[in-house]
Amino acid sequence: MQCEDIELFLEQEGLEPLPEAARNHLAECAGCRNYVADLTSIVDVANKLPTEIAPPERVWVSLRAQLEAEGIIRTPAPVSGSAEPASWWYSVQAFFSNRGFAAATVGIVIVAGAVFEIARDRAPRDTAGSPEIARQITPAPAVTSSSTQQVKPVAPPRSQPPTTFTAPAEFASTAQALDDQEPLATGLIASSNSTIDASLRDNLKKVNEFIADCERHLKEQPQDELTREYLSAAYQQKAELLSAMIERGRSIN
Amino acid sequence: MCPSMRVTPVRQATRLLLPVFAAGLFFAGVSPARAASQRVEKQFNVTSHPVVVIHNVASGRIEVKSWKNAHQVDIVGTQSSNKIAFDIEQAGDRVDVNANILDASAQPLELEANLQLTVPEETELQLKTETGLIYVEQVNGDMKLESYGGDVHLKEVSGYVIVKTTGGSLVCTQCAGKLDFSSISGNAQLLQPQLNNVNVMTTTGNILFDGAFIRTGLYSMRSGKGLVEVRFSSNDSFDLQAQTSTGFVDNRAADFLKPDNHKVRTYASKVIHGFVGTVGAGLAKVELSSYSGTIRIMRRD
Repeated sequence: MQCEDIELFLEQEGLEPLPEAARNHLAECAGCRNYVADLTSIVDVANKLPTEIAPPERVWVSLRAQLEAEGIIRTPAPVSGSAEPASWWYSVQAFFSNRGFAAATVGIVIVAGAVFEIARDRAPRDTAGSPEIARQITPAPAVTSSSTQQVKPVAPPRSQPPTTFTAPAEFASTAQALDDQEPLATGLIASSNSTIDASLRDNLKKVNEFIADCERHLKEQPQDELTREYLSAAYQQKAELLSAMIERGRSIN
Repeated sequence: MCPSMRVTPVRQATRLLLPVFAAGLFFAGVSPARAASQRVEKQFNVTSHPVVVIHNVASGRIEVKSWKNAHQVDIVGTQSSNKIAFDIEQAGDRVDVNANILDASAQPLELEANLQLTVPEETELQLKTETGLIYVEQVNGDMKLESYGGDVHLKEVSGYVIVKTTGGSLVCTQCAGKLDFSSISGNAQLLQPQLNNVNVMTTTGNILFDGAFIRTGLYSMRSGKGLVEVRFSSNDSFDLQAQTSTGFVDNRAADFLKPDNHKVRTYASKVIHGFVGTVGAGLAKVELSSYSGTIRIMRRD
């Protein structure tokens, strides 16, 4: 029996029992003895390994969400719809159940905030009595000093009851979008008692209080550009915080 | 030796498999119940300027120090239970470390994972953790450090340093280069800095700058509700602008702060309180602001 025969035999029959011819060859061939010894060690070590543990479900959920977010896979549409259409709330939940959508939405909010800021910076800044400032204070259709140029109506007041103070007109849609995201973000970590989630909730409260404070001050002093800058930064921080809460909520759920 | 003996692919694979199985046995643990507190240590060879990326979703401390060995990264991870797993791998000069939670139902005490790194002095860092201290000492390179609740302590680091926290505070001692810090409720302390570009923003935290302003440096420190305190040296040279909406400017160095000699700055709005002044030739530019907090300016010496 030659070395190739030993290899072939072990591949097909395993380690035991070795036939007489193979044992004779091993007695003479150190290379094959080492080979058999290696195989024996591998089998011994493999037998000592713990039973394979299935990863928790959240690993698969997270993996799937990541793959969906990257567009590698897509969630198949339901095969058979129920008799009754789902409520609008379930549609919203379904939309935001994907981390990619949620992150994108928060990103859009940030971009929207930035766009508003840029638009505001480009607009002429006049005194408190100017039409520009007046338009910011009063969210109603307005006409510029040049009567030929019609100004688009400012966003209407929120349909939901305002919290404490209304955001300045240029921030209205940003504030609204963030307010819409807040229940989703807080809901995802609502059941968690961990220190970090408590900290996130506490910081959200602080940002909200600061935003309300700035909004109130801007209502009284609409020409205060410093407060406007702080309010813009606070909206951005809130957007990032909500994004972090959503990401964390997805991971713990 | 058998004359027909040769190293076939099967034999090669067998030789490779043996150490792999042995390593698997070592890291998996013979019995899961036995693994209460575990320690993992790994060394990675790098060519130069490695990038170390850490994402620690567990609680625990990340400590990074440097050594003179420019071609090796040493990582020691300790974990409180086997409900956390370190995933450490190298791709070229990048070393990725992830601490993952394996059991979401684990108790907080079981989810502690500490990492201790020793890296070349010239190393780029990207560290992200949820809680626990991030400590970096004597590392030169760009770094981005993110934490929700953990503090960030930097000592003798240099480069472009970005720190983002939610509630964690920053203590930066003898740091050099450029620093960006943003936080909601975290404080920032910059002690004996050699920074030539500072951008610090916190919504409710406090800011302390205690050190020299480098000539031609740019410094912006803003706090929504907190205290902004600057302690400068009489040898410094800077233009300073301090402004607040509803807060208070506490100028304890009025004798040294001359009215701005460039005559170009005026406040756009009368509702903002503050002043503009110059120390020395006004070479550096310092902007301090607070929405409703106090801005305190004082001399160190």
